[in-house]
Amino acid sequence: MNALTVQIRPDTKPILIAAGFILVILGVGTIYTLATQGAATLLSPAYLIQQLQTGAFLGLVAAGMMLVILIGHIDLSVAWTLTAAAMTATAVGGPWAIPAGLGVGLAVGLLNGIGVAYLRVPSMIFTLGVNAVLRGLMVAQTGGFAPQTAATDAMRFIGAERVSGVPVALVVWVAVSLAIGVILTRTAFGRSLYAIGNREAAAYLSGIPTRRVTCLAFVLCSLFAALAGVMLAGYSTKAFQGMGDAYVLPAIAAVVIGGTHILGGRGRYMGTVVGVILIVLLNSVLSIMQMPEAGRQVIYGGVIIVMLLVYGRGERATS
Amino acid sequence: MSPFLALSGISKRYGGVRALENVDFACAPGSIHAVLGENGAGKSTLIKIVSGVVQPDTGAMTLDGAPVRFPTPAAANRAGVVCIFQELSLMPDLTVADNISISDPPRRLGLIDARAQRRRAEALLARLGCEDVNPQIRVRDLPLSRRQMVEIAKALGKDPRLLILDEATSALTAADVEQVYRMLARLKEEGTAILYISHRMHEIEALADTLSVFRNGRHVETFAKGQRTNRQIVEAMIGRDIAAQYPPKPERPRPPPSLEVTDLGWAGRLKDLTFSVGPGEILGLGGLDGQGQKEVLLALFGVLKGVTGTVSVEGRPHRPGSPADARRAALALIPEDRKTEGLMLPMSVGDNLVAASFDRIAAGPFIDADRQRRAIDEAIRRLQIKVGDPGDPVSTLSGGNQQKVVIAKWLMTQPRLILLNDPTRGIDVGTKQEIYRLLRELADAGAAILFYSTDYDELIGCCDRVAVMYDGRIVRELQGDAITERAIVASALNIEQEADPAHG
Repeated sequence: MNALTVQIRPDTKPILIAAGFILVILGVGTIYTLATQGAATLLSPAYLIQQLQTGAFLGLVAAGMMLVILIGHIDLSVAWTLTAAAMTATAVGGPWAIPAGLGVGLAVGLLNGIGVAYLRVPSMIFTLGVNAVLRGLMVAQTGGFAPQTAATDAMRFIGAERVSGVPVALVVWVAVSLAIGVILTRTAFGRSLYAIGNREAAAYLSGIPTRRVTCLAFVLCSLFAALAGVMLAGYSTKAFQGMGDAYVLPAIAAVVIGGTHILGGRGRYMGTVVGVILIVLLNSVLSIMQMPEAGRQVIYGGVIIVMLLVYGRGERATS
Repeated sequence: MSPFLALSGISKRYGGVRALENVDFACAPGSIHAVLGENGAGKSTLIKIVSGVVQPDTGAMTLDGAPVRFPTPAAANRAGVVCIFQELSLMPDLTVADNISISDPPRRLGLIDARAQRRRAEALLARLGCEDVNPQIRVRDLPLSRRQMVEIAKALGKDPRLLILDEATSALTAADVEQVYRMLARLKEEGTAILYISHRMHEIEALADTLSVFRNGRHVETFAKGQRTNRQIVEAMIGRDIAAQYPPKPERPRPPPSLEVTDLGWAGRLKDLTFSVGPGEILGLGGLDGQGQKEVLLALFGVLKGVTGTVSVEGRPHRPGSPADARRAALALIPEDRKTEGLMLPMSVGDNLVAASFDRIAAGPFIDADRQRRAIDEAIRRLQIKVGDPGDPVSTLSGGNQQKVVIAKWLMTQPRLILLNDPTRGIDVGTKQEIYRLLRELADAGAAILFYSTDYDELIGCCDRVAVMYDGRIVRELQGDAITERAIVASALNIEQEADPAHG
């Protein structure tokens, strides 16, 4: 209303803080590279685009994860959903590789959705179980070794190639992001996610089909994880055991750093995008600075905790 | 008598909102002091300050003449100031005994002494005449009215010198209210100071020695009981003249039914209910709390599974599997607990208003921002909801305005059968009257209304007919002038045969 006192909505604040922290990371990294190499490598378009390309895989997983977190649930099966989709896609090969990979995602999502929404099993347990089952199935399938099959050309195209300098994976991430942005703000399904996350009983009594919405959120989450898997297999030219393990916790962290409430109901999609970029850059800069693995883990975890403490303080002050 | 607790010059602001402004207030030992005012008048803030939940911006408090500050509720408790809040503070998954002793459980060798805890709970519940509540049962399994009694027992366990009841009787049955009255009278004789907040005038008449009226954060006046008429008191509260409390009932023949219920049954809690409501009619559901009235509403709304019997709405069979089905059949349910069932509290007023009407504000798969804004503005105007900006969280509204949001949300769906589950519990007089008028307008516009209330006054004032329930059955249906408090109470206790042999 008042143009002079621009009110920052409470769910925008974490996004601004996270965006500010991205600048801090870039600044610190640049000081380091200037001191050691005499060049501002981190600010070159080539480096940044490379980071966004890497971030696209995490971004897709986090996008799906956000939908599930918004309704107050969690999906811990994304690691092996991603891997299973990638392995299936490379095993099937040919024109059906990508549909087969996405089909795996659809099936896992339906299973998760039915288990959580209709059978009322807590999502943390159910998806953890599904994750273990998927891992077992994949190990049985491949005999515990990396599958010998390679990614198809189409998978390589969406995962690794660039069109006039822009990585296709980045384009896919942007397209998915736009779609989710519209879904969350402009559709009944999106509104229902927030309503369920805030108070499922009130949403149910308002005539919102809560079970169907919950199920659909899990399906979308698994589908995006599967898409990320197919693309990641294309990027690394093949699928391998444990390729998804590095995505579960960073995806959850990205969603939460972006300001989405871990218990659901609050958060903007833009925050998740910023959270993904923050995590990818943090990892990259720490490795450029030749921080040993142990130190990287400590800093990485510390950053997540500190950011959440900062958000928590702000919230208490305003309520 | 010198006051037990005195406040002077207390002010409190929340952001830009002035909750209390330079308030002087005192309460004496051995007396029951009623605090009156509409929602948003500052009563809740007053209580929160006295009980240490929030700190005043300015002003001072004295206890027994000595200056005192309560930085936390625990500090207030230690000084003997105990509050029974409107929102229940019980842990649903702990037992009654656990809850009653939760802040200071009896210990033996450093561990909680479960047996002593149980005996303590039994003794406290017995003081309230609630021997029927098993201290070993989980709070979740108790009906709302029993939970409220447990809440009161928990407060008594802290040996209050100043006991504050904030709408503590709003969920109680008539019999429990009697018990609470007796308990309060006893405490008063023992010299306890009691602050009593209620929206029910007859309770205040029955109990209070002194009355204070608050309006817009100011202490308007304090007077002894009997010095003002009810009408004067209500005018002081709302600061304007009031119209007749209930809108007149139209005189006309009974309309043909639009909702017909035959032999409705559910899980042994509803037994062979048969009734009907027509367009333009308000049918009240009366009786003691927990006789199946809520279950009737939930069964009609598709929440309960395994409902037997036949229901038809406007001639079509009605077997909803979920509230979504019921909504499609043009039913609306105003649920019992607006905070957990009616509203998504952290979400905005606007988002709450449209939560049941996505199909009405969408064009194709997308929500039309223009239509949404018009729908929200229309709802806010129609119910005169006092709201700064539709983007504000609904939790920032007063109780009465929150309830208006719940009702407005459902009116947006243009329901033809409206089910209300005690919609005026804990809201102020002014809003209550608006709701009564609205119900009559909706009925006149052709809606059929099923109205459950724990307040007999309301049933008498609002309803064309009242079906009194006892143990899952309708024991009697009252109509017109036959709707009297005596008739409702007699039927509610299922003693009509003895009381009124004409209705064998």
